[in-house]
Amino acid sequence: MTTPILEIEDLYARVGDKEIIKGFNLTINKGEIHAIMGPNGAGKSTLSNILCGKPGYEVTSGSVRFKGKDLLVMSPEERACEGIFLAMQYPVEIPGVPVTTFLKHAVNAIRKHRGQAELDTMDFIKMVREEGKKFKLDAEMIKRAVNVGFSGGEKKRLEALQMAVLKPDFAILDEADSGLDIDALKIVAEGINSLRDGRRSMLIITHFQRLLNHVVPDFVHVYADGHIVKSGGKELAVELEEKGYAEFEREK
Amino acid sequence: MAGLLQQVSLPGEEIPWLNEIRRRGRMVFEATGIPTAKTEAWKYTKPRELGGDDFVLALPSNNLDASIPNLAFDSYRICFENGIFNPRQSILPQGVEVLPLIEVIMFHPEYRTLINANIQLERFPFAALNSAYLNEGVFIHIDSKVEIKKPLTILYHTDNKNQNLLCNLHNLILLDEQASAKLIEYHCYKGELKSRYFVNVVNEIYLRRGAFLKHYKVQDEAFKSNHIALNCVDEASNAVYQAFCLQKGANIARNETHVLLKEEGAFAEINGAYVMNGWATLDTTTDIEHLAPNTISHQLVKGVIGGDAKGVFQGKIHIAPLAIKTEGTQLHKALLLSDTAEVDVKPELEIFADDVKCSHGAASGELDEDKLFYMRSRGIKEEEARRLLIDAYLEDVISKIEDEKIASWIRLMAK
Ligand SMILES: Nc1ncnc2c1ncn2[C@@H]1O[C@H](COP(=O)(O)OP(=O)(O)O)[C@@H](O)[C@H]1O
Ligand SMILES: [Mg+2]
Repeated sequence: MTTPILEIEDLYARVGDKEIIKGFNLTINKGEIHAIMGPNGAGKSTLSNILCGKPGYEVTSGSVRFKGKDLLVMSPEERACEGIFLAMQYPVEIPGVPVTTFLKHAVNAIRKHRGQAELDTMDFIKMVREEGKKFKLDAEMIKRAVNVGFSGGEKKRLEALQMAVLKPDFAILDEADSGLDIDALKIVAEGINSLRDGRRSMLIITHFQRLLNHVVPDFVHVYADGHIVKSGGKELAVELEEKGYAEFEREK
Repeated sequence: MAGLLQQVSLPGEEIPWLNEIRRRGRMVFEATGIPTAKTEAWKYTKPRELGGDDFVLALPSNNLDASIPNLAFDSYRICFENGIFNPRQSILPQGVEVLPLIEVIMFHPEYRTLINANIQLERFPFAALNSAYLNEGVFIHIDSKVEIKKPLTILYHTDNKNQNLLCNLHNLILLDEQASAKLIEYHCYKGELKSRYFVNVVNEIYLRRGAFLKHYKVQDEAFKSNHIALNCVDEASNAVYQAFCLQKGANIARNETHVLLKEEGAFAEINGAYVMNGWATLDTTTDIEHLAPNTISHQLVKGVIGGDAKGVFQGKIHIAPLAIKTEGTQLHKALLLSDTAEVDVKPELEIFADDVKCSHGAASGELDEDKLFYMRSRGIKEEEARRLLIDAYLEDVISKIEDEKIASWIRLMAK
């Protein structure tokens, strides 16, 4: 039986005067991995930001339901506590806030929301260190301020580490592969795959097929000009890589 | 002016030297009055309220029946309660001279020449007022080569339920050659948040050759009080003065530090932070005079200002013609949390020597929306995210405090 976790219906959204999302429809069921592929500037990051409640976007019509609840009325932190996670295309540097402090506040906020007790600090740090090893982020890096002095690849690995620690029900990965060399790509892909347990859902946003060779999606959607122009299985990613986006943009 | 200048009888009136200092203080304050916006040095910080209130000079009868606030670190303690030294609540170190200032004036006239030696009363109206009542305060003398490991905390604890107390304090701190110590000043209040009182402090600090003083201060006065402090530091060769001041209370507050780097190799680091969400004005004023070659000064002050509050930073670096190969740096940064918060900054460089390294900078901004969203997207509530970002903002200046226990205490006080 399929249970929808995310239902986006006829979504229109703008930034300032500029309409970016235009009639977007997508349903993701529990356990499914979807990939959205599309050219630069199509509005992929805009969509992920809207799903996470980033201020500055205006939804003009349509609806988004998450686990059956109206997502658009929730604050970003409520969404995270409900189980949404966004691995950002451009992770933000936060000088003065160590990774461990940041993650501890995040984990405890989510636990509190679920009525669970706070984690013991020592246990927590141990756990983050263990997880960090999987993403080749050592204890020294985890002590540093969030993303400060991290290379592009290290930032992406830290996003993946955060996902592994926060264990969301639904993760959006916005260009999780950009700027990664092949080794780092494998590390991140393994991290994603290890979270793939048949219950957790994901939306992988990318404009190359590269990552999808390692994390094989159940569905692939071509996204152009603010909405999905074609959907298919994993073979669609291969087709896209060969033909490019121009063809699909013409189709619409 | 009736409020601040009163005829009171003070100890030591039989000493002509003391009478003369008090008379001169009174005369100068009568002439200057409470500074107004027309006084260049008080352009941004306006203590005019001090003219309206009736003050009563703190006397031993204004005793305070409060327990001493706990300190988060092991420390010697010099207690002032409602502006009066209380030896019973104090814990003094062995082998260090800690005496009420008035006793030193009476019985050790050899130290009198240190008092007001570097302070031009005409420039500092409140120091003039301070001299008019010269009496309360302590003398701390650390002998040559003596190192006091445990910090020495001067605790100023004020409650004042009924009257507008004027707490007038003058401390004289002398570190002989190669002596070293940590001095902490903690200004706090008991009970009534709305107490009106006026704490007027002058610290005269003399660091002889190679002496080393770390001076930390937390100003956490009641919200309707006024706090004016002048720290006048005189440094001989290779002396080191490291200061950090956190201001978070009072209605009008100024912490002014005047450093005279008189001999070669003298070093000063004047850091600070201020945090305010109400309506107060918190002022940090510095004047660093490089008077000899190879002297170094660094200043870093960061503020977090919200509500209708105002932050003021006036920082001056003066490099005298002889003071070649000196280095002076200064940086002020402020985080504005509301549209009505204000920061006024006046940096001033006066360089009369060649071959010096000198820099200053100032920046102010708001909390970064992208950082806030990043944290919230991980589940952290907006308020908590703001708090974390504010703490992080102050972290680079607080982390300059080398003593970890004191740094933790100040970190906590800044929250
Ligand atoms: N804050 C913004 N203000 C104005 N335009 C924006 C803003 N954010 C995105 N855009 C515009 O929206 C379009 C889609 O951007 P984005 O969602 O980042 O695309 P993608 O992630 O698919 O490359 C682009 O034309 C971009 O310039
Ligand atoms: Mg993008």
